[in-house]
Amino acid sequence: MESKPFIEMKSIEKVYPDGTVALRGVDFDVGKGEIVGLLGENGAGKTTLMKILSGLLPPTGGEIYADAKRVNFRNPSDALCVGIGMVHQFFALVPPYSAVENILLGQEAAGPFAFLDMEAAKKRLAELAEETGLEIPLETPIELLPVGVQQRVEILKVLYRGTDLLILDEPTSSLTPLEVGELFRILRRLKETGKAIVFITHKLKEVLEISDRIVVLRNGLVTGRLPTEEATPEKLAVMMVGKEVVPRVTREEKAPGEPVLAVKNLQVMSDFGTLAVKGLSFEVRAGEIFGVAGVEGNGQSELVQALTGLRPPKSGEIELNGADVVRFGPRELYKTGVCHIPEDKARFGLALNLDVAENSILGRQWEPGFLLRMGRLDWGKIVEFAEKLMVTFNVIAPSVRTTVKSLSGGNQQRLVVGRELSKQPALVVAAHPTRGLDISSTVYIQGLLIEMRDEGKGVFLVSADLDEIMRLSDRIAVMYEGEFLGVGKAEELSREEIGLMMGGIRPKGGSQ
Amino acid sequence: MKRFEISTRARPLVESVVTILIGLLAGALLMMPFGYDPIEAYQALFKGAFGSVPDVLETVAFATPLMLTATTFAIGVKTGLFNIGAEGQMYLGAIGATAVAGLIPLPVGLHVAAATAFAMLLAALWALPPALLKIWRGVHEVISTIMFNWIATHLSMYIAIYYLAQPGRAERTVPALPSARYPILTEEATLTAVIFVVLAFCIGIYIYLWGTKAGYELRLVGENPEAARYAGVSSRRAVLLSFIIGGLAAGLAGASQIIGRPPAWSLYATLGNVTTLGFDGIGVALIGRNHPIGGIFAAILYGALQHGGRYMEYHAGVSSELVRAINGLIVVSLAVPEIGAIIRRRLKR
Repeated sequence: MESKPFIEMKSIEKVYPDGTVALRGVDFDVGKGEIVGLLGENGAGKTTLMKILSGLLPPTGGEIYADAKRVNFRNPSDALCVGIGMVHQFFALVPPYSAVENILLGQEAAGPFAFLDMEAAKKRLAELAEETGLEIPLETPIELLPVGVQQRVEILKVLYRGTDLLILDEPTSSLTPLEVGELFRILRRLKETGKAIVFITHKLKEVLEISDRIVVLRNGLVTGRLPTEEATPEKLAVMMVGKEVVPRVTREEKAPGEPVLAVKNLQVMSDFGTLAVKGLSFEVRAGEIFGVAGVEGNGQSELVQALTGLRPPKSGEIELNGADVVRFGPRELYKTGVCHIPEDKARFGLALNLDVAENSILGRQWEPGFLLRMGRLDWGKIVEFAEKLMVTFNVIAPSVRTTVKSLSGGNQQRLVVGRELSKQPALVVAAHPTRGLDISSTVYIQGLLIEMRDEGKGVFLVSADLDEIMRLSDRIAVMYEGEFLGVGKAEELSREEIGLMMGGIRPKGGSQ
Repeated sequence: MKRFEISTRARPLVESVVTILIGLLAGALLMMPFGYDPIEAYQALFKGAFGSVPDVLETVAFATPLMLTATTFAIGVKTGLFNIGAEGQMYLGAIGATAVAGLIPLPVGLHVAAATAFAMLLAALWALPPALLKIWRGVHEVISTIMFNWIATHLSMYIAIYYLAQPGRAERTVPALPSARYPILTEEATLTAVIFVVLAFCIGIYIYLWGTKAGYELRLVGENPEAARYAGVSSRRAVLLSFIIGGLAAGLAGASQIIGRPPAWSLYATLGNVTTLGFDGIGVALIGRNHPIGGIFAAILYGALQHGGRYMEYHAGVSSELVRAINGLIVVSLAVPEIGAIIRRRLKR
């Protein structure tokens, strides 16, 4: 540590082809024998920065030095050559292959007819495992191993390639607390053997526990750089989410009405068989926007899917205007007054190869107003409705017969939002309604949500954009690992408190 | 903007015309090294297929079953399926038509209808197991329909030989009774009135897919299953419907060759007068852009190659094997754009 750091990144910039600016001149370094925590919320640029360092993405500007020598990575193998390897949040393992086979995959020595020297590989792996404490069953198919062990295989795979710098992207997101402890023990041991480690996370407790130094990113800039002993959760939270006061959108002042949605002890499973929503209870009242903040992947998607009939909950109650709707599908929920602006419009909200008219009745195709006798579609009425939708919600398209694929993202989202809000709902469930949109579409759609609230509808808003949550919500809940760490009136929650909860720490004396 | 829209609508047509030219060119290149004159050969092909009214009708007679088996495949694609079971379902349709038409005397009019309906029903039933396997157990339809095609092949031969054979003529089944035959349109071609039923069926499928709620939901499942779920559509139901409708189409195709195609009016014990009609339908569907109306024109084109190809043989002297190779080349190049589209869609998922 006394000499030059092992890796130095200078003024790294990254602009994605679609114009998104991810990094605006970031300096970063890491030395052998230290663990650097890279902290930030969604979209801060953590993963982008590390993908550049591991050769997965080319930077738009800036320089990288390894051992004080300028390097230029064209692909991950280039980065591996100087000893940089990354373990991604989602593993890249072949489920039916054993650990050895997975680790050897991609580095078979020679041409198609060369034999794999399994025995030699096994011997080397056993040595490596002993040295690092990464003990794994070498012969068992990956699919039979628990997630924590699969992750060890991933780490071993990277180390086997002779890595000196190990980058871990949100490594604890799918681990049990016990597995997290085990991982930290291994990381400390790797540090002792002189490895450099970058630990990407949004969890304050973990970064405080495991790192030597912390670098905080926000909006593509470094907002903090400090040794871990000087860090406190409060300091980090402010660095992570900032402390500007966002002006709240003006709205009618009025007391919220009766609860529209009442949820009790809701439990929802994830696709990976883990509990994604861990017993939530809350209410959304008529005439209020209930905003759920939090870093993505903390159970928000599963919660929204449970509320909109796309994912049957494991247990718990969901009541809509007093009626039990827990087993309802999307169509029954619509009939009871729920509309859903889904988190990924191209995946759930639209059929891209169908035209505007066809998409304007998606989910409403069974309504008698759009049908003639014998289940025939009344195209006259549908086209008329689609045209009205386009005018009311400013959807710009050559005609209602244009395929939705050729519309801009903002217009696609206006179409989805317009279709949903025109359902005369009692409850609007909106997930990341303005993600990836330009400013004018964002302001427009946020205005529509406020309008809904003023009209006395309940709005359940999930967004990873903290500014959006603070600007729109009447009440805010912060979701972390499937739970609400805190729920409070928007005026009474400070940005710092929310930041802390997003990082997994309940503020002292916080509201609940 | 306006121009852009028109060009996207016209694009499939332009592509099809270009690929026809490429296919013909490829066929010509294949003929040249063997010393045949491509221009003379293609003249013979065209004259053979469309040169006279009876020739046109004969071309359409060849096209008739293909319009239907193409529909089977096309409606599968529209639901996101790769249903290649038309072949086997069509055999069952042929068996069903033969049994009712040949063995059960019924009044004129009713007999034709009953034989047709039974053929369609039997074929739809044959489509059911792959559909249910897909819905219940996630068995991929390519595997199950191939297996059911083979089962159908041998089952149909067995039934044809042991239960339906014409006494004294082991090579084929009992012929359809005259009351069960679709009327012949002209003595100079093998086209019968079954073509009207077939056209009505294809147009009906078109109306169903684009004009009804159920058809809309079916296409939604094919375009984006997750959006379909979001819209409250059961993709299981759509898959089941798609298989059943595909089966009905294949069954009608089988029937059309038994009670709607002289001179045999029966099923050969080798299934020789129906084999490959189901598989050819896949190519026809691809040429017709998986559209029931496009399939009608693609089938006529295919029928023209089959019927006109015979003239290439005796007027231009092209050997029959080469004629088939040339036809194959043309069909393959015609299918390329749609295969490309399907692959692009799969990759995107």
